[in-house]
Amino acid sequence: MNTVNDVYLNICHLYPDTLNLYGDRGNVICMEKRLAWRGIGVNIKQVPIGCELEWKDTDLFFIGGGQDFEQEVLLPDLEGKKADAIREAVEDGRVFLAICGGYQILGKYYTTHDGVTCSYIGAIDACTVGGAKRMIGNFMFRCAPEDGGFLVTGFENHSGRTYLGPGARPLGTVVRGFGNNGEDGGEGARYKNVFCSYSHGPLLPKNPGLCDRILELALRRRYPGFVLPELESGFEHRAASYMANRLGASPC
Amino acid sequence: MSSGAGDLIAAAAAYFFRRIVNGAFVCYNADMKRLRFLTALWLGKIAVLACRVLGRGGTDMPGRLALKICPDVLKYLSSGVNTVLITGTNGKTTTSRIVERGLAAAGLDCFANRSGANLLSGIVTCFASNAKLSGKSRHDWAVIECDEAALKFVTLYIKPVSLTVTNIFRDQLDRYGEVTHTLSSIRTSVANIPGAVLCLNADCSLTWSAADDAKNAVISFGVDVPIYRGEVSDLSDAPYCSRCKSRYNYDYRTFGHLGGWRCSSCENKRHQPDIRVTRILSSGESGTAVVMSIFDSEYTARINLAGGYNVYNACAAAACLHSAGVGDGTVIEALGSFEGGFGRMEEFSLGGVSARMILVKNPAGCNQVINYLCSGSGPALFVICLNDRAADGTDISWIWDVEFENLAARKDRLTGLWVSGVRADDMALRLKYAGFDEGELRVIRDYNELLDEIAAQSSPVYIMPTYTAMMDLRGIMTKRFKLKKFWM
Repeated sequence: MNTVNDVYLNICHLYPDTLNLYGDRGNVICMEKRLAWRGIGVNIKQVPIGCELEWKDTDLFFIGGGQDFEQEVLLPDLEGKKADAIREAVEDGRVFLAICGGYQILGKYYTTHDGVTCSYIGAIDACTVGGAKRMIGNFMFRCAPEDGGFLVTGFENHSGRTYLGPGARPLGTVVRGFGNNGEDGGEGARYKNVFCSYSHGPLLPKNPGLCDRILELALRRRYPGFVLPELESGFEHRAASYMANRLGASPC
Repeated sequence: MSSGAGDLIAAAAAYFFRRIVNGAFVCYNADMKRLRFLTALWLGKIAVLACRVLGRGGTDMPGRLALKICPDVLKYLSSGVNTVLITGTNGKTTTSRIVERGLAAAGLDCFANRSGANLLSGIVTCFASNAKLSGKSRHDWAVIECDEAALKFVTLYIKPVSLTVTNIFRDQLDRYGEVTHTLSSIRTSVANIPGAVLCLNADCSLTWSAADDAKNAVISFGVDVPIYRGEVSDLSDAPYCSRCKSRYNYDYRTFGHLGGWRCSSCENKRHQPDIRVTRILSSGESGTAVVMSIFDSEYTARINLAGGYNVYNACAAAACLHSAGVGDGTVIEALGSFEGGFGRMEEFSLGGVSARMILVKNPAGCNQVINYLCSGSGPALFVICLNDRAADGTDISWIWDVEFENLAARKDRLTGLWVSGVRADDMALRLKYAGFDEGELRVIRDYNELLDEIAAQSSPVYIMPTYTAMMDLRGIMTKRFKLKKFWM
C-alpha cells in the first residue's frame, strides 16, 4: 500500500440526516476507505439543516437522496445563504457528487405530478417533472468518454423525470433502464466539476473507476497533477460484472 | 402446483360459476352469494389439499383462487372469529407467536398464519384451511400477522378485536415506497376498523402518528429505558416531527428512531405507555429478564428469545393479549414460554452442529441482529445469504445502512465470515468496506456446499438469510436433515 505523506481531502456531507435514502452513505464510506487505503487523510464534515455552509475549505461535496417528506423539510433551509454558498462552490469548480434527490435539488425546480412547482438551488441547468410511473430497477449506463467511459451498474428508483438544458450534459448514456427521464437516453448530469446520478445507494463501491476519478479531481485542486496510486479492486469488479452480466452486457 | 395452473383453474371455475348462475337456476340474491362463497371455499380447500399432496408449501395460491371466485370471501370466513391483527415493519412474526401462546394458555382456541404468508391471499388460505365445509370457523380466535401494504385491503373484510402496530421503519423501498406510504396505508386501515382497539408502539413516533386522527381505543406500549449499553448509532428513519417538521429531541434512545422522543417546537411527544418495560435485569443467549408494568401492576418477566428487539415484541404481544382480555399472569407466562417463529433465532442441528437462523430484511432489523451477535461471547461462524428476489426486495442498497463495521470490531469472536445467495458478491463488497480483508471472507454460492461446510464446523453457526434465501435453505435442509415441513 502506498503512503502519501500529508496529503488530505476535505469532504462535506450535506444533509446527512435528511438526505440519506437507502445506502447513500455507502458512497461516503467508499470514498473514505479508498483514500485511507492509500494513506491519504480525509476529514468528513457533516452539515445538517440549520448549520452554515463554509464551502471555501471543502474539496468535495456529497449530497444523497431523500423521501418527499424530507425534501420538503429542507426547502426552507435552502432558501438564502446555503443556496448561495452551493452555487458559489459549484462555480468555483469544487467537486460535487449528488444522487437522486440531491441531484434534483441542485437543479432549478421540481414540478410535482399535480402541478406544484418548488424552486431549487439552480446550480446546474436541469429541471425535474414528477411522473405518474416510478422508474425502478437495476440499471446500467456508460459514462461519457471524457469521464472515463466506465460502464456503471446501479439501482434507480425515482418518479421525477429530469431534463437537462444546454448548460449541462449527461454523465452517461443509458444501456439498461431509464436514467434521467426514460426518454432521451441520458443518465445523470455533468457541469464543471459536478457529477449527478440517479444511481441511488452505493453508486461508488461497485464502480471504483468512477470513484477514483472523482477523488482525483478533488485532490488535484489542492495538489495539481496528483495521481492516485492503483488499488486492488477484485471484489468491486466481481460485484459489478455480476450485475452487468445479469443485465446482459459485457463489462469490458 | 404452479400459480399458472391455479389461475387456469380459477378462470375455469369462475366461468362455470357464471354459467350456472346465469342459466336455469333462479336463486335469491342471498343464496347466490352463499353459493359463490361456498364454491370459493371448497375450491380453495381442494387447492390446499392438492398443494400438500404435491409436497408444496402452497400458502398463496389457494387464497388467490378463492378470491377470484368470491372477492369478499374473507368477510364470510372471518365473521364470527375473534381476530387480532398484527402489522408493522419488524417483529410481526415473533409478536404473533407470543400472542398465540398467550391465547392458548388462557384456554382460548385459536389458529394463526404461522408460515408468514401475510398478504391478502395468504390470509384467505389460512382462514379457508381453518374453516369447516359449511364456512364456519373451527376455532374461536385467529392471530393474523398482516403485511403493512396489504392491511388496507384485509381490513375491508376482517373486523378485528384489535390491531397491533409493532413499529414503522424504512423497508424495501422498491416495494413499499417511502415510509410515508406505509404510514398512510396504516391510517387508511385504521379508518376501516373504527371498532378495533389499537395497540401502538409509543416509542415509535411514526407508529404513534398513525393514530393521530383515530377515535379508536388505544393501548400503548414501550420501553422506558435504553436497551443497549453505550451509544446507539443507527440512522434515524424519522428525525423530524410528523406534525410541524421540526427536529425531534430524545430523552433516551433504544434503537433506530425508537425511544423517548419529543418535538423541539410543538406539543408532539412520547406519552408514558400503558404497558412498559421499566428495567432490563439481564440479557443472554436464552432470553432477557425485564420488569414489565401492565397498567401500573409490576411484574418480573423473562422473555424467552434473545435480542433487544424482542423486548419490544414482548411489549407488543402483552398489549395485544390485554386487548383480547387475557389476564396479566397468563401474559407473563406466555412471554417466558413461547417458541420463536420461522427463522427467528430458530435453532437447527446440522450434523450435530448448532445452527441458528435469523431472518434479515431491512437495515433496522439487521442492525438489531448485529447488535445481538456482537454482544455475545464464544467463538462462532457467521453466514450471510443475500438474495434480491421480489420477496426480499429487489434493491439491496440497504446493506450499506447496516453497521457491519460493528462485526469487524468483533473479529475475536468470529471463526469465519461467509457469504452466499444471489447477491453474494455485493455482500462481500460491503463487508470489505466494513473492515474485512478479502482473505477473511469466503463466498460459497452453492447451498449444498454451504450446508456441508456448516455441518463440518465445531463452533455454533449463525445464518442470516433474506426471506427467499431462508426458504431455499429450509427446502434443502428439510430434505437433507429431515426437518419438519412448514405448512400452517
